Amino acid sequence: MTFGPAVGNVGMYVARELLASVPEEKRPTYLALVSQIADLKYQLGVEVARQLPRLLAEQDTDLVARYLQQVQEVAKVGWKSSVEVAKQLPDLYDAPDPNLARAYVDIITGATSGRDGEDAGSSELQSELDRLEVEIREMEPKIQRAQELKSLLASRDRRDEKRKKHAVELASVLPPVLARLRPRYRPLFLELVQQIADADSEAALDGADTLLDLLNGERLSQDGAREWVARGLQVLDKNAEVGRGYFRLGSKYALDVVEELREGLALRGVARILKLYATALCARDVAIRSTQEMYSLEAFGADHIVLPPDMRYFDDEESNFTAYKVATAHGAGRIEFGTYDFRIDEIDEVVKHLESRYGRSPA
Amino acid sequence: MAVESQRVQDFKLEKEPYYLPVGNEIELYEAAYHAGLPVMLKGPTGCGKTRFVEHMSWRLGRTLVTVACHEDLTASDLVGKYTLRGDETVWQDGPLTIAVKAGGIAYLDEVVEARKDTTVVIHPLTDDRKILPLEKKGEIVQAPEGFHLVISYNPGYQSVLKDLKHSTKQRFVAMDFDYPKPELEEEIVRTEAQIDADVASKLVKIAEKVRNLRTHGLEEGVSTRLLVYAGQLIGKGIDPLAACEATICKPITDDLDMQRSIVEIIATQF
Repeated sequence: MTFGPAVGNVGMYVARELLASVPEEKRPTYLALVSQIADLKYQLGVEVARQLPRLLAEQDTDLVARYLQQVQEVAKVGWKSSVEVAKQLPDLYDAPDPNLARAYVDIITGATSGRDGEDAGSSELQSELDRLEVEIREMEPKIQRAQELKSLLASRDRRDEKRKKHAVELASVLPPVLARLRPRYRPLFLELVQQIADADSEAALDGADTLLDLLNGERLSQDGAREWVARGLQVLDKNAEVGRGYFRLGSKYALDVVEELREGLALRGVARILKLYATALCARDVAIRSTQEMYSLEAFGADHIVLPPDMRYFDDEESNFTAYKVATAHGAGRIEFGTYDFRIDEIDEVVKHLESRYGRSPA
Repeated sequence: MAVESQRVQDFKLEKEPYYLPVGNEIELYEAAYHAGLPVMLKGPTGCGKTRFVEHMSWRLGRTLVTVACHEDLTASDLVGKYTLRGDETVWQDGPLTIAVKAGGIAYLDEVVEARKDTTVVIHPLTDDRKILPLEKKGEIVQAPEGFHLVISYNPGYQSVLKDLKHSTKQRFVAMDFDYPKPELEEEIVRTEAQIDADVASKLVKIAEKVRNLRTHGLEEGVSTRLLVYAGQLIGKGIDPLAACEATICKPITDDLDMQRSIVEIIATQF
C-alpha cells in the first residue's frame, strides 16, 4: 500500500491513488477539506477522503459544501453515524429527488440524538447520582469507624471472657501454690501475684508458679522478686503475649533478669570447676549436686558433694567461690578418706582399728 | 666424609646427663644393648625417655643421633639422598646412616609420626642381619658392633591409624616409662631446677593432683619436664603461682574450667 501526503495535525495519510484521482488544481482544496473533517474525527476524515474525489469531479462547489455541512451536522450528535452518512450521502445526491438526501440526514440526526425530553431526564438522574456519590464518600469514614468500634468491642468481649476464665483457674490454683510456699514468703507472694493479676489474669497464673520456684528455691531475695515482677509488668504493658512469656520464664530476658537480680554466686556456673577440683583432690570421679536435688536418692551416693544452689555468704563473687571451694574440699576429703563408706555392721572393726591406731579405749 | 665425621663428633656427649633411675631400666637397657637387641621406650610426654637415652649414650660411650620424627619424614630423609653440590651430584648420608656407620645409638623419637616407608628401612637393623640398605646408592651398610637402635612413642595420644604395626613392635625390647614416684620426682625436680626441697615437694604434690584429671578431660597429666620448668621459673624469682600457671596449667589445656580448677589446685600449695 502506498501513502500520500499527511493531512491535518492528526497524522492521517491520504492514499496516493485517491489523491491521484483528484484533478491537480483541486488537490490543495481536497487536502484542506479532508484535514478540516479529520480534525473532528479521524475515522470520519478517512471516509470523507474516500468520497470527496467523486464529488469534486462533478465540479459542483455547492454540492461539496452541502456534503461537508451535512456530514458535520450528523457528526455533532454522533461521530459513528456521521461516518456511515459520509459514506452513503454521495449516492443519495445522485437520486432524482433532491430532498431525499436532506430527509436522510434529518432522520439519522434525530435517531442519533433522541428526543429533547430524554436528555433532560438523564441530566437530572446524573445530578442525583453525583449527589449520592458525594454523600457516600462523606459516609465512608463513619462506616469505617463503625466497623472499628464493632471489632474493638468484640475483642474486649473476648478478652473479658478470657480474663474471667483465667481468674477462675487462678482461684483454683492459688491455694495449693500457697500451701507449697514457705510461710515467710506468703505475704510477698500474694502482693506480687495481685499486681500481676490486676494487669493480666493469664500472666498471673504463670507468675504464681514461677514466683513459687524463685522464692522457695531462694533463687531471688524478696527485693529481687519485687524487682523481677516490676520488670515483667513493664514488658506486659508493652506486649501482653511477650509479658506472659516473661512470667512463665519462657523468655531470655526473664532469665537474664533473674540472673541479674540473683544475689551471690550460682552453683550452676561453677559446678564443673568444683567437680574437677574435687576429682583432682581425691582422685575419684566426684559429682557436684545442689541441695535442690536432694529429692533424688542417688544424690546421696558416696561420690557426691552436695552444695547450696547459691552462695551468698559474702558480698563479692571471689569470696563466695572460695566458700564453695572450702565446702568442696571438705566433701572431697570425706570421699577420699571414706567417711561415707561407713557401714553399721563394720562398727566393731572400726573401733578396733581406732583402738589399735590411737592406743586408747573409747570412753 | 670430613663433614660427616664432624657431625658424628657433634653427637658425642661429653658431660653426664642427669638421670635418676626409677627402677631397673638401666640394667635392662645395658643388657639389651650388649645382646644387640633394639629397644622401644613407651611413655607419656616429658617423663624422661629422651633424657634416659642420652644418659645411656653417655654411660655406654656411644654417639647419639636423635631424630624427631614427624609426618613428612620419609625413608630417604633417614638414610640419605643425592643432592646437588656445585656442578656435581653427591650422596648425603641421612641421620640413620650416620649413626649406623659411626656405630652409635640411633634414637627415633615419636617414630609412629613418621611415614610408613621408614619402618621398611629400620626392620633389617632390628634383627640379626644388622644391615642398612641404601637403595638409591645400591649399597648395603653393615652396622658395626656397638650400633644400637632405639625408638620411642607415646601410646597415650597415638591414634589407631598411627599405631605401630605388630610386625614392628615385636622386633623391640619394650620399656615402659611413667612419671616417677613422688619422692623420686621431687629429687629430680629439685636437682634439675636447682630449687629447695620444699618447693619441689609442693610442685610434685600439684602434679599428683592434676594427674588425677587425666580421664576427666585432660589428655595428658603434667610432665616432670613441666615441673622442672616451673621450678626454674620460681628459681628465677617468679611468683610461684604465676610460674605454675604458666608452666603447669596453661600448656596442658585450653579448657577454661579445667584451667581454673588447676589454678585452685596450685593455690592449695602456694
